[in-house]
Amino acid sequence: MADSDTRLAERYGGDASAAKTPGRHFILTLSRLWAWAFLALLIAFFVVSISLTTGGSVSFLTLRNSQNILVAITPVLLLGLGQTFVIIAAGIDLSVGWVMSLASVLSALAIRGTFNAGAPLFVAAIAGFLAAVGGAAVVGLFNGVIIAKLKVPAFIVTLGSGFIVRGVSLLLSENTTVIGLPPGIRDYGNNALLYYLHGEGGGFFFVDRPQLAGEALRRLDPILPWPVVITAIVVAIAVFVLRKTQFGRHTYAIGGNMEAARRTGINVDRHIIMLYILSAGTAGIAGFLSTLRFTAGSAVIGDALLLQSIAAVIIGGVSLFGGAGNVIGTVIGALIIAVLTTGLVMLNVEAFWQFIVVGSVVIIAVLIDQSRDLIIGRGRSG
Amino acid sequence: MTRKHVFGALAVAAVALGASGAMAQEKIKVGFLPGVVDPFYQVMELGVNKAAADLGVEVVTQVPPTWGVEVQTPILDALIARGDLDYIITAPTDKDQMVGPLQAAVDAGIKVITVDTFLGDGDYADGPVTFPISYIGSDNVEGGRIAAHGLAEAIGGKGKVYINSTNPNVSSVEGRAVGFQEEIKEDHPDIEVVGLDFNLDDPNTATTQTAAVLQRVPDLAGVFGTNVFSAQGAGTAVVNAGLGGQVQVVAYDATQFAIEQLNAGTVSMVLAQKPFDMGYLAVTFAVADAAGVTSLPKRVETGFAIIDKDNVTDPEVARFIYQVPN
Repeated sequence: MADSDTRLAERYGGDASAAKTPGRHFILTLSRLWAWAFLALLIAFFVVSISLTTGGSVSFLTLRNSQNILVAITPVLLLGLGQTFVIIAAGIDLSVGWVMSLASVLSALAIRGTFNAGAPLFVAAIAGFLAAVGGAAVVGLFNGVIIAKLKVPAFIVTLGSGFIVRGVSLLLSENTTVIGLPPGIRDYGNNALLYYLHGEGGGFFFVDRPQLAGEALRRLDPILPWPVVITAIVVAIAVFVLRKTQFGRHTYAIGGNMEAARRTGINVDRHIIMLYILSAGTAGIAGFLSTLRFTAGSAVIGDALLLQSIAAVIIGGVSLFGGAGNVIGTVIGALIIAVLTTGLVMLNVEAFWQFIVVGSVVIIAVLIDQSRDLIIGRGRSG
Repeated sequence: MTRKHVFGALAVAAVALGASGAMAQEKIKVGFLPGVVDPFYQVMELGVNKAAADLGVEVVTQVPPTWGVEVQTPILDALIARGDLDYIITAPTDKDQMVGPLQAAVDAGIKVITVDTFLGDGDYADGPVTFPISYIGSDNVEGGRIAAHGLAEAIGGKGKVYINSTNPNVSSVEGRAVGFQEEIKEDHPDIEVVGLDFNLDDPNTATTQTAAVLQRVPDLAGVFGTNVFSAQGAGTAVVNAGLGGQVQVVAYDATQFAIEQLNAGTVSMVLAQKPFDMGYLAVTFAVADAAGVTSLPKRVETGFAIIDKDNVTDPEVARFIYQVPN
């Protein structure tokens, strides 16, 4: 069983032994690496074009900008992480954006409530985290149980629960924004692991933000802000779980062929429920981080992010038919979207081009995925 | 005797019924359809309800959960379909797309008053759209000018400024950006507007965009956020870049959240509109129109208050902060 699981898991893994000819080999290599290549090309394009249009006075590749991009990917990536697992298992979770909004509201209410009740700031933040992830997990459990036990298509269930969640968030928040959080919360969402001060008296500062004023502040670059650190930890866990654990192997197996997975003794229903809890959970973390970042809960903060997160997953090479894909691909997909947003603004180009490029890349991703299937000779009827 | 008494009582009851019947006929019914759930419209609703109580008007309020023509139109259609409304007070979510749906209200015999946002170009006397009774709201172009003036003063009359807005083709935020740009162009030759981005109502995007602009324009002096989400995102990016207090951020709309940002130093100046006035006036206009008043102005501008760190505690100014009692 472990063997068959591993085989399923590595169906599209590093092994290109199926490729007998150079042409095949090229296509297979391309299918694995094209997203990386596209990201590299995109960065190169922005580096050159921004430098040209500004006469070299502005550079795309700066420490500050790299950090801006990393912060920008966190919400899309967190929504995409859980989604990666769900889609690999041939499901879909349309509720993640709205779950993120719910989590943002719940965490803001919890932080405000516990802090006003006299709890220290850190305890209030923990309460906010638990409220966000706990509330999200309830939605995930609801989704998972209906999908797994009552056999309702995931598309319908998560669409419906998304609407419900949205209503609940708006009702809970009363006026869409929950305010009155302790100001210190801002530091958790915006401070960084490391700081680098350029120029005079410069150097690295670990965790403690140096107390600076005036012009010196401009020379201070935060490196790895807390939302990025937390997201990176979640990504690392996700990579490990998907690659190295039985849970990961079962996820591929269910996505590849649910009936076969069931026959090999996998508790498919329980696994599917876990997947939707996981998906809602990462959305919950995203909502929690946005509350810290903006020192307020918002019932609409995640509304725009669902489709971006699915786009990131697809660009990253996860097959919508299930059974294939990995976490790092989703990271690349989210990076492509964030690089576009930042780069286009730095180029002073209409930001709406982002949608055109992302849309094109999504379609290219699927085309490459399909041509790979043709080469390998596993025509999937879907 | 007894019969006479009964008769008398019946007569009194009949007169009372008749009177109340007449009153019920005169009592007008107003639909209130704001743009979206937010503190600005909640304060406006307070104004509507206060006027309704003062003037004996019945109000039916429906608030769209999100901003957009596709959300507002079905609610409007439902209000029209009720068949019992005499007036609709609304903030159209698009100056062009909402013309048709609101024309349908007029065709159904319901008179329209627009508040906060307008249809066409807002000139209901000679403009492309003339069917609404009146537009009651802020002159957003003027608001943009005031914001530009305030920002110019805050940055010492020179430097580069950036505008972060929400959505294109919404009369309110569009007017703010236009007025801001005009004022800078005409009266502040040493200030340059280096860009205008739309964040589509997402503070995450506003933050990313502003952070990118700070990269492109390292000597940026100020940011104008055309609503609180824009200002929130812009302010977050500015503070995270270590530029809090150096790059000035002006926010439109005095929500409590904006005031919180002001106190935290993320935002340096807040422009308050007067939504309570808009709501109250709109209902009085409906009552006046029903009573046969013919000289109602087609456009009423309710003005602004500027709030900064120095005057935020002054009660004369603080009363313009959007507050909804729980």
